[in-house]
Amino acid sequence: MDFEQGQEVASLRATLRSLVGEVLPASFHGAFTHDPADLALAQEFCRRLAEEHLLCPAWPSDVGGKDASVWEQTAMREEMWAAHEPRGAQYMGVNWVGPTLLRHGTEDQQALHLPPIAAGQVIWCQGFSEPDSGSDLASLSTTATRIDGGWQIDGQKIWTSYATMAQWCFLLARSSSETRRQAGLSVFLVPMATPGIEVRPIASMIGPHHLNEVFFDGVLVDDGALLGSEGNGWSIVQDVLSLERVGIARYARVDRLSSWAPHALAERWEDVPEALRARWVRLGVRTRRARLLAYRVVERQDAGTLSPVDAAAYRIAVTALDQEAAGVLVELAAFAPATEEARRFVSAAEDHARYAMASTVASGTTEVQRILLARSLVGRR
Amino acid sequence: MNTELCAEALEIGQLARRALDGVGGIEVARHAAQDPRAGDELVQRTLLPLGAFDLDPLGSEIELEAAAALCRAAGSVGAPSPLAERLLRPHGENAEGIEGAVIVGPDRRARIGGLEGTWWALDLHGATTLVRPRSVSGPIAELEVLEGIADQPERRVAAVLVLGCWTLLGTLDRALEMACGYAQDRQQFGAPLSSFQGLQFQLTEAEVERAGLEVLAHHALWSLQTGRDDALSDGLALRLAGLEAAEVVLRTAHQVHGAIGFCDETELSWLSRSVEPLRRLPFGTSQTTSLLGECLGAQPLTGLFTSQEAAR
Repeated sequence: MDFEQGQEVASLRATLRSLVGEVLPASFHGAFTHDPADLALAQEFCRRLAEEHLLCPAWPSDVGGKDASVWEQTAMREEMWAAHEPRGAQYMGVNWVGPTLLRHGTEDQQALHLPPIAAGQVIWCQGFSEPDSGSDLASLSTTATRIDGGWQIDGQKIWTSYATMAQWCFLLARSSSETRRQAGLSVFLVPMATPGIEVRPIASMIGPHHLNEVFFDGVLVDDGALLGSEGNGWSIVQDVLSLERVGIARYARVDRLSSWAPHALAERWEDVPEALRARWVRLGVRTRRARLLAYRVVERQDAGTLSPVDAAAYRIAVTALDQEAAGVLVELAAFAPATEEARRFVSAAEDHARYAMASTVASGTTEVQRILLARSLVGRR
Repeated sequence: MNTELCAEALEIGQLARRALDGVGGIEVARHAAQDPRAGDELVQRTLLPLGAFDLDPLGSEIELEAAAALCRAAGSVGAPSPLAERLLRPHGENAEGIEGAVIVGPDRRARIGGLEGTWWALDLHGATTLVRPRSVSGPIAELEVLEGIADQPERRVAAVLVLGCWTLLGTLDRALEMACGYAQDRQQFGAPLSSFQGLQFQLTEAEVERAGLEVLAHHALWSLQTGRDDALSDGLALRLAGLEAAEVVLRTAHQVHGAIGFCDETELSWLSRSVEPLRRLPFGTSQTTSLLGECLGAQPLTGLFTSQEAAR
């Protein structure tokens, strides 16, 4: 056995930490704040990553990537999430819109979209969920109607992150009324500036830019907007999801924040009650557990031996971890001394607590993961 | 990165499980409940032809992985033998005749009730004593101290903790297999229990705990193999995860089985009671947490960031 990730990964981590320290202030908590300067910082960070071919390291080198190993990709996810995801909304374009275009896009679509994604110059949003179609995505009702030379799109999407800042939408819509509802879906690449699209932000406790409604009213797109073939949308979405087996490395931020606590609290660490200290100790074990479950998914996916059990067990463990961490961190924050570092720790702990509430809902609820896992454990014999 | 056991270890684990199933499987646990010594001898007799007791787990990486696979196999049939402790007996000139190495807490008890001979008793603070089992209460014995031993036990202590958790892992593998199998077979309200989401979700919770223990067990083994300074805290972390996993998995397995799961006629009842001593000794959940906390002080368990790096 060998749990070492090798010199290349260590070197990548060092590069990324150095870049984070150089470009981002210590108070940076992500691009999605009310202060436009945070988004500008994230965009600047992405440009710096792109210069080093690190914005989309998993991509082939001829389209702006560097053919990174799965362990380099893992380190990238960890380091970025630990640093409050300074790639911001680029995360989506880089991690799955781009790879999906590489698999299913035409030459024209690849030429149009891949270079700006690789350069960090474009933001994508994902038009999947609808008011009446959440976990049951295949029930969606936004329509794409065939017209001369293209398609007309009508309907409503919701919970669409980054829609206020996105230039493009990866949209799933119903293009025919097939009996089997999955068979009638298609994916469209839609410019957000198209007439008929209206974005309405939804004020929420998890901060700005995360939740929006997007209305499509007679939106016209040409044939070049269709990704893959008509009616093939569901299989493309399944493919997208397979790229997201590991998804956000949530455990990495928990690792950083919980490891930071003794340093941030300094001499006041001694005042932390034994019961809370015990929860912090346990959190360390649960964090390691989630990280190792992620590594198992990465290793088996790379070897082609991944089972749905592995991926679902990891997703359940890591989302629960986020919420367990929130409780411990906020309680530890109550012991913060009056120092600049401690103030930053408190702010980061509160930010985490606010966002962690959504971790078992975002990117597919934990209940859906449990249904998938149960199907593998006690499905039909 | 390679997070799986080597082929040799996997093979000896499969052979051990087959051999233990061949002598009755969980019948071994039932047998040992009536006579711990006979149960222990049966396990030893069964594993001896596989070369189990020729292994020196602290001597090489392959032998450590093979020992882990053997412990997992033993756990899968609820084998009561202190196998990890026997496999980790000291080797060398001064260790002739020592049966094994047990970890002891302040009350100086160990899971060697009904057994004989002299054993090494290791404590977490670095002292090693020569002991023998004295008064016996079921599978747990109080220990009579014979003399102190000069040794550096930290790596051996960590190894006993880690291999004990591999035994526990084998038990939880089997308990969850039983729970899933029973949920598919048993019909109520005209449908298998497995069709009810309330039970499905309990099974998924148990699988997350079992899978989590599995990956941590592999990692702690690697930590021992590479002689890392934090092998002891890694061992305690594993034990904490193992105890919590045992709580969830065994509770779920019993809940799915209902009343039949408590009856002597079911294998689950023997599996579940066989693992009780391992859950209690050398330390339960609270004491393990506390010991891990002492071990760590103000340093986090080794992960992606040190405290200093996290502060940036």
